[in-house]
Amino acid sequence: MEKLIETTNLTYFYRSGTKDQVKALYNVNMNVFQGEILAITGQNGSGKSTLARHFNALLTPGQGEVFVKGLSTVSKENIPEIRKIIGMVFQNPDNQLVSSIVEEDIAFGPENLGLPQPEIIERVNWALHTLGLEELRNEPPHNLSEGQKQQVAIAGVLAMKPECIVLDEPTAHLDPRGRRELLESAIHLNREEGITIVLLTHFMNEVIHCDRMIVMENGSVKMEGPPGSIFCRSKEVKKTGLDFPIAAQIGDGLRREGFDIKPGIIHTEDLIASLCQLKS
Amino acid sequence: MELTKNITLGVYLPGRSFIHNLDPRTKILAAAGIIVLLLFTRSYSAFALSAIFIGALVSLSGIPTGYALRGLKPMLPVLAIMWVFQLFLFKTPDATVYFHWWIFEATDAGLHMGNLIILRVLFLFTVTTFLTLTTSVVSLTDGLESLLKPLRMIGLPSQELVMTLVIALRFVLILAEELEKIIKAQMARGVAFDRGNFIQKTRKIFPVFLPLFIGAFKRAEELIVAMDARSYTGGKGRTKMKTLHMGRADFMAALILLAYGGLLIFIIISTKPMI
Repeated sequence: MEKLIETTNLTYFYRSGTKDQVKALYNVNMNVFQGEILAITGQNGSGKSTLARHFNALLTPGQGEVFVKGLSTVSKENIPEIRKIIGMVFQNPDNQLVSSIVEEDIAFGPENLGLPQPEIIERVNWALHTLGLEELRNEPPHNLSEGQKQQVAIAGVLAMKPECIVLDEPTAHLDPRGRRELLESAIHLNREEGITIVLLTHFMNEVIHCDRMIVMENGSVKMEGPPGSIFCRSKEVKKTGLDFPIAAQIGDGLRREGFDIKPGIIHTEDLIASLCQLKS
Repeated sequence: MELTKNITLGVYLPGRSFIHNLDPRTKILAAAGIIVLLLFTRSYSAFALSAIFIGALVSLSGIPTGYALRGLKPMLPVLAIMWVFQLFLFKTPDATVYFHWWIFEATDAGLHMGNLIILRVLFLFTVTTFLTLTTSVVSLTDGLESLLKPLRMIGLPSQELVMTLVIALRFVLILAEELEKIIKAQMARGVAFDRGNFIQKTRKIFPVFLPLFIGAFKRAEELIVAMDARSYTGGKGRTKMKTLHMGRADFMAALILLAYGGLLIFIIISTKPMI
């Protein structure tokens, strides 16, 4: 698979009030591959947000380098191109919508790119259609639910036709239904539009739908791999303070009771299937 | 404390009338023109003409007259006080005295001055309210952006200014909601905002605004990052999804306005001013 984003020995310090240099990222080597859904998890302060902000050059490395399709984020000339490739959606939808009308907000990105008018209109219509937001076209954002606002924020990024969308804890402010719909949208964009998705999240039931996951701890990558194999290493996962998906929890518990359940089951459907096998 | 319900910024009544469909630039320029003319209007007959013209516009727009004037209600006491002040305090040497009490004199000059000021305020209010009633905030800012564009040449960052306005309008409601939350949180911890004298009440407001400001700055920072991520680099090189088009209706409106303006100027010149 082709590398879309590559970090080499990425280290980043920031200054805080009391200490001179606080290490936020240390020696991070990781890749985002074209077309995958990658989950980045970790406790608050583990550096996942800082890492994500390096992907589209909102932050630039202290040491090491970040490449987006071979373009280094260090050189300023690359930044407009990098931001076209990588779109980003943040935690609080209220703080990222610019306009008082949904369609105008979605047009904001394409307008910034200086696209001709017919193309802006086409892209806005396409983004509204892809996320099923046509009915909200002329609504002001304050009439929408948090989940709808976040969908509008994604549409605003989608209208820029990025190759990759980074979602920085997009579901943190949402109710369970909003979370489910947002995850469905992200999966839809990946499967139907071929957009690479990087999802930063605390929710393990979101992680299990991803192709690969990275666990961050204290600014470094602790674990990396498909969710199924990561959750097999339950002792290590526990040490990082992460939750387990419900199926893995139940599977683990049953295995300790002596039932013959294979490790690495993370999807509820799979667990049910193997439970049925036990019975027969 | 229901703040968000009382905020009606740029109350807009959607409609399909001739006035609603005009280009926002036509409406902004017309309102500005009418207001400038008002400042030169000093005779009752000229005010009468303005009243007929603006009344005709309001009825053309299909907005109920009562609704258009509703916002005046809270201003009425202030207007009355202004009128009384002018009546007793404005004097000219040759004025006829109607009424005399202690050091106060009501003169005909004072009466006319009072009337003039009140008429001006009334008309200013009606014209600006009428503009916002028939034009949505978004088309107002679009119109403003387009009108200010030529000023870029003399170095005015017009697009950035309008973008600031757009964002400010978007955040008014958000900040009002936040203010409401802060007030409720403090009430929950025992602050009684409605008790005490004026100074005590005012003092209780400060601890409310401090968190509001901190919150606003945090939001601003997040918004900057989000705009940055969406490739915003200022007004330069931006295109717009919607561009404004002036049509035949705008041309007709301009003709009507010119006719009105000419007639009004004629009346202003030829009639005796009230004061």
